[in-house]
Amino acid sequence: MNTLRQLSGLLLALLVPFAPYCLAQGLVVGDVLQSPAAKVANPQRGVFTALALAGQRLVAVGERGLILLSDDNGEHWRQAGVPVSVGLTAVQFADANVGWAVGHGGVVLGTGDGGESWRLQLDGLRAAQLELQAAQSALSTQADDEAAQVRVQTAERLLAEGPDKPLLALAASDTKHVLVVGAYGLAMRSDDGGASWHSAMGQIDNPMGLHLYAVAYQGNDLVLAGEQGYLARALDGEHFEQISSPYAGTLFTLASRGDGALLIGGLKGHAFVLAPGAERAEALPTLAPVSFSDASVLNDGRVLLANQAGGLFASAPSGFTPVSESLRKPVSGIVQAADGSLVAAGFSGLSRLPQPTVSASE
Amino acid sequence: MNSARQTLSSASDSFDPRSGSLIERALFNHRHWVLLLCLLTTVLLGWQSGRLELNASFEKMIPTGHPYIANYLDNQKELSGIGNAVRIAVTNRHGDIYDADYLRTLQALSDQIYLLPGVDRAYMKSLWTPATRWVSVTEEGLDGGPVIPDEYDGSPSSLGELRRNVQLSNEIGQLVAFDQRSSIIYVPLMARTPDGKPLDYRVLSDQLETLRAKYQSDSVDIHITGFAKKVGDLIEGLEQILLFFAVAILITTVVLYGYTRCVRSTVLVVFCSLVAVVWQLGLLPLLGYELDPYSVLVPFLVFAIGMSHGAQKMNGIMQDIGRGMHRVVAARFTFRRLFLAGLTALLCDAVGFAVLMLIQIQVIQDLAIIASIGVAVLIFTNLILLPVLLSYVGVSPHAAALSLRSERAEEGGQVRHAFWRFLDLFTRKPWAAVCVVVSLVMAALGFLVSLNLAIGDLDAGAPELRADSRYNLDDAFMTRSYGASSDLFAIMVRTPNSACARYDILRKVDELDWQLRSLPGVDSTNSLALLNRRMLVGLSEGSPKWYELQNNQAMLNMITASAPRGLYNESCNLLTLYVYLSDHKAQTLTRLVEHVEAFAAANDTDEVKFQLAAGNAGIEAATNIVVKEANREMLFWVYGAVILLCLITFRSWRATLCAVIPLMLTSILCEALMVWLGIGVKVATLPVIALGVGIGVDYALYVMSIMLGHLRQGASLSEAYYRALVSTGKVVMLTGVTLAIGVGTWIFSPIKFQADMGVLLAFMFVWNMVGALLLLPALAYFLLPATRRSDAVVAAEPVADMQPAKAAATGRPLLLDTATR
Repeated sequence: MNTLRQLSGLLLALLVPFAPYCLAQGLVVGDVLQSPAAKVANPQRGVFTALALAGQRLVAVGERGLILLSDDNGEHWRQAGVPVSVGLTAVQFADANVGWAVGHGGVVLGTGDGGESWRLQLDGLRAAQLELQAAQSALSTQADDEAAQVRVQTAERLLAEGPDKPLLALAASDTKHVLVVGAYGLAMRSDDGGASWHSAMGQIDNPMGLHLYAVAYQGNDLVLAGEQGYLARALDGEHFEQISSPYAGTLFTLASRGDGALLIGGLKGHAFVLAPGAERAEALPTLAPVSFSDASVLNDGRVLLANQAGGLFASAPSGFTPVSESLRKPVSGIVQAADGSLVAAGFSGLSRLPQPTVSASE
Repeated sequence: MNSARQTLSSASDSFDPRSGSLIERALFNHRHWVLLLCLLTTVLLGWQSGRLELNASFEKMIPTGHPYIANYLDNQKELSGIGNAVRIAVTNRHGDIYDADYLRTLQALSDQIYLLPGVDRAYMKSLWTPATRWVSVTEEGLDGGPVIPDEYDGSPSSLGELRRNVQLSNEIGQLVAFDQRSSIIYVPLMARTPDGKPLDYRVLSDQLETLRAKYQSDSVDIHITGFAKKVGDLIEGLEQILLFFAVAILITTVVLYGYTRCVRSTVLVVFCSLVAVVWQLGLLPLLGYELDPYSVLVPFLVFAIGMSHGAQKMNGIMQDIGRGMHRVVAARFTFRRLFLAGLTALLCDAVGFAVLMLIQIQVIQDLAIIASIGVAVLIFTNLILLPVLLSYVGVSPHAAALSLRSERAEEGGQVRHAFWRFLDLFTRKPWAAVCVVVSLVMAALGFLVSLNLAIGDLDAGAPELRADSRYNLDDAFMTRSYGASSDLFAIMVRTPNSACARYDILRKVDELDWQLRSLPGVDSTNSLALLNRRMLVGLSEGSPKWYELQNNQAMLNMITASAPRGLYNESCNLLTLYVYLSDHKAQTLTRLVEHVEAFAAANDTDEVKFQLAAGNAGIEAATNIVVKEANREMLFWVYGAVILLCLITFRSWRATLCAVIPLMLTSILCEALMVWLGIGVKVATLPVIALGVGIGVDYALYVMSIMLGHLRQGASLSEAYYRALVSTGKVVMLTGVTLAIGVGTWIFSPIKFQADMGVLLAFMFVWNMVGALLLLPALAYFLLPATRRSDAVVAAEPVADMQPAKAAATGRPLLLDTATR
């Protein structure tokens, strides 16, 4: 009896200093790059920026490291474990299992299990170091000394400013090869599924350091779009050359139509179409003066464009037609789920539009 | 002096004016001096009562001693976002706001409001103020302008332009309703009008009502919310109380007349009770008190208590006169018998009130003091002035005879009144047992129900006002159309000077903001961190991918510099995190408070301090904490005091139990009633239990003291109880009824918590009376051992044979027995 009391006393003495400590540990606000995303009660009410399909599964990414998965075409969502709590900006899968998400702080997250778990593969600080190394080695080999000098200086500044620049888009050709691009021309590439990264900024013709908002494959070509009408194409998938710009405003999104043409959505409702291998993108008629935020390929090969006011437009032979009533809320990402319904992400969370709206317009 | 003596001596030769206590002689041998003094006092205090002010001071209703409130009061001047503002929603009944007639009305109203004194014109906002602008992203950068186009002329094209501008203005959900059928005139108020006087909410509220009446029409509807309007409505409600007072006087007078059937004495009792109210109201400004929505109820109580004690005195005098005594002698004898009993009862009431001083909320403490003053005044008006006056005017002979009817009837061999016979049943085995069992069951059920008793206000909107009041309807409209809940909880974040935009600090605020948003009951939040996220999106051509609190100090500083006021203070050392709640139920508030406390404990540093709490919900949270504590504490003290008083008075713990158990049953049932009526424990309900128990024990004091006296002289329980009923029982019933009526009129008050207090107090007064008449004798049957013996005898013999023991007076002050016969 006495021993028991002593023992419990000892246990208590051991526990007391720990209990509040443990509690406090969970609550202390740490660095966003080191704090795992908090589990929240109603995660689908958060702000979401992008959506992707991993096989049949829907994956949504958003603010503060939120990644949600849905296996029933957007009816129910569950939160995946994420090692950082920065805002995520884009997500894409190479197959049903392997995928990447990018976000603020230069973060690249990789998954090998269809989004259930995520690993931090790259952050902004590491990216800046990689770019500085690349710039320095280019300085010793490159002919254009002045440009190489500038690149080194820019890289040094990038490193000094810390990881405050977001990655904004990515394109994966398979489970090994992935290109991530972002603000101020930030661009990184991995050829081994994310195990190692190197700077791609030397292979992109972007002297102004414009924000790169979108990257997409058009056949085997890789196309970049960004600020001030920036468009560039890499015929080999690596070395990007600028294409003459159709527009002075920002281009936010890209998607390849079934027939191989690339659709480009930009500021204030400006949209363009780039035929395969064409020198110039052609302007499409403007339907509403609201910026496009996302484009995605529908099951039937058409491209769906969403704008910031919730308007949804499908590509048609001569431009676009509205596919449904406006959602009346800003849409930042849209995707067609396996059952044909549309799932939208935005400032007011995730929402699902039952299927008929899209197919009905055919 | 001489004439008085003559009347006295000629009226009653056998009476010795030098008999009686010193006080009695001092008062009754100088009756006209007493009257003169009372007259002078009444005139003086009546004149003083004209200076009495009605006030609904906000700070007095909150527990200023609580650390949350202390934090709030420390920072109050810098919390411009919580500031005092009125929101006026102007609705187009027949369409949307893009309508030339609507806009003309809006402009006219907006101009009128701009001119009201006390309006902080620089920050006033409506569609028509130049500060309301639209912003648009273009290829070249940002473009913008006032929402109402410069060349606005009411034409369809300029209305179309307005529509476009509103879409781009970010004001939908702020100044313009989601359905775009109404828009808001946002009117921030200053603490003082330009002439330096504090802003008078009553006047402002009146001015707003005038404008509402002027501009509201078939096509335009106007909704007004805001603290100033609420206080204005509260003060207006207070003024209606006068009407209730008149009604209470009328009804109790009628009841009293029904009881006495004597105009003279009824008028006299009402008069004395009113004198007590006048004295009390006159004393308040002299002592520096005002009437607030809580203490305005005290005059009702004082009046009702005065009526019941007056009736008690009058009953005694009537019976004596009925027995043939002269009115002066009757008055003196009654004074002799009842002065101490009355004093004890009034002291009991005073103890009930005094216990309220324990609650650290000023309105309640004021209520306690004001009520104590009222009771003290009653000692003079109803225990002294009334018998003295009665000794002059007397009662009508018919009424005097009537008052003795039941006594006479019995002496004449007739059966007792059926009601008395019914009550008598409770002194015997089957009925007493049934009564106790039923009470036990009720107590158990009541207790089970009362476990669900909530803390705090449960209704939506402004809980001070009724759910269907104009204010709450307007409030519900605002919540519906603009999505902004009226339950605001603000967390203050202290930072070093000029550091309010520092990343590491905003990061903490951002995190707390996010955590709170996922709590149940939280609708939305707002903070400088959230603004930074939104502004970064705006500055990045609206791209949602930039929704982030970026670790870029230059960007944070730039955004902060252009942030609207309210998110941080002028010296940039205080941030405010706003949490909009879906309700202000205690559960929601407790959850929030606990979360923030834990967060603060983990994240407070020497530089950054997260402080609770401001906003109406923050103050409510602090009030709930204080009220919850106080509720338990107060029950403990009030029962402690009542038990002690009973022990002193009865000198028997068994009798004390008999008196206190019915009170406890009532308290439990009162809590169950609160659950049933959806009333939570709040500032307004705290005084109810204290008053209910403090005044409720009066009944037991009157009944039990007389019963005990007879029992100690050897009477059976049944007989002793009957004696008590005949002498004071009727008055106990009268008291219960008059008190219940006095407070019952509040049920119609436009102020919700007054109505709640009214219904609960009325319940407690009536139920305590029922308890004193039914449960008390039943308990006495089981608890008073002497009774059981006597009862055994009674059971053996027919009751009618029992004659009251007409033993000599023992001189016990509380014994209302046959000493004077």
